[in-house]
Amino acid sequence: MPRIFFLLLFWIPPLFAADARLARDGVELFVSPRTPEQIGAFYAARGLPPAALQELAKVCFLTVGLHNKRKEILWLEPAQWRFVDAQGQPQGNEVKRIARPEWAARWKALQVPLAAQSTFGWTQLPESRDLYPDESVGGNLTLVPPAGNFSLIARFRTGADGQGKMIELTVPNLSCSREGATQ
Amino acid sequence: MKKWIVAGLLSLCFAGAQAAEPPPGMIKLDGRPAPALKLSDLDGKRVDVAQNYGRWTLVHFWATWCGPCRREMPTLAQLMQKLPPECLNIYLVNTSESEDDVFAFLASVSPELGTLLDRDGQVTERWQPRGLPASFLVDPQGKLRYLALGGRDWASGPYLNFLRELTAK
Repeated sequence: MPRIFFLLLFWIPPLFAADARLARDGVELFVSPRTPEQIGAFYAARGLPPAALQELAKVCFLTVGLHNKRKEILWLEPAQWRFVDAQGQPQGNEVKRIARPEWAARWKALQVPLAAQSTFGWTQLPESRDLYPDESVGGNLTLVPPAGNFSLIARFRTGADGQGKMIELTVPNLSCSREGATQ
Repeated sequence: MKKWIVAGLLSLCFAGAQAAEPPPGMIKLDGRPAPALKLSDLDGKRVDVAQNYGRWTLVHFWATWCGPCRREMPTLAQLMQKLPPECLNIYLVNTSESEDDVFAFLASVSPELGTLLDRDGQVTERWQPRGLPASFLVDPQGKLRYLALGGRDWASGPYLNFLRELTAK
C-alpha cells in the first residue's frame, strides 16, 4: 500500500533540542521541539504579522508526526494527552497545552488577519482526527514553556467507535529551548 | 462531425475503466451536500462551482508552502489531459495566499493550471479537508462522495482507473 504522506510536511533543522521517534502497537510517533528562531522564520515566511510572531515567540512548539500502522482507526485527541514535568513521574506538574480556541481568542485580540489565522491553523495538529489505516498526520502543538525537561504521555483510542484497545506512548526528556524567546 | 468528436471524448472517459473500490488513501464520505464554492480565479473571474455540477467534480485544496502539494500539482495537470472536462470537472482552490504567491508558484510548477483563490481561507474551512493537500470528489448531484487524503499521483493507474469508472457511470 503506498504510503500516505504527512498532511503537513515542513522541515526545519533541529538545532538544539533532540527529536524523539517511537514505534509501538502499530503507532509511529515523532516529536521534535522547535526553537523560537525556527518558529519565527517559519511563520514569517508564511505571512504572519509581527504581532503574531511576537506572541508565538512566547510559547513552546512541538512538531508532531503520527502514522497509523494499525488495521483499524486510531484516534488522535491531543486533549487526552498529558505533558508532565519532572520526567513524567506521577507527582510531576502538568504542563499546559495551548489549544486552538485559545489561539483563536489571541488572534482576535491582536486583530490578526483571517488569512494568517487560517495558515496558522493548517500548521497545527488537529484537535480530533480518526486516522484511517496507513493515514498520517502532522502538525504543531504549543505549550506554556515549562521550566525544565518534561514528558509527553500520549493516549490513543482505537476502533471506529473508540472502544478498542487503549494505547499509551510516553516520550521522556523533551525540552524547549528558549534561546531567542521574547520573554 | 461534432457528434463524432463528442463520442471520441466520451470514449476517453470510459477507456480502461475497471477499478471497483477506491484506491489506497481515498475514503468514502457520507454524501452530504458539498458546501458552496464561489470564488474568483487568477483573472478575477467569479466562479460558482455548483453551476457546473451535472458530472463528477474534483475539488482540490492546496497551498504553496505545502510540500506534497508541490509534488502533486503536475499530476493534476496530467490528469486533465487524460480526463478532459467532458468527463470530470477539476477545480483547484488555493488556501489563504496572495495572488502574487500563487501566480509565481503555478508559473514555475504547472503553468497550464489555473486556480480559484480562497483569500481568507474561510471557504476551505467550510469544506473541512483533513489537511493540505486534500481532494474531494463530488458526484453529479453535488454530493460529497470521496476524500483523497494527502497527495498522490493522479495520473497513475489506480487513481486514473478509479476516476474513469466513476465518470463512466
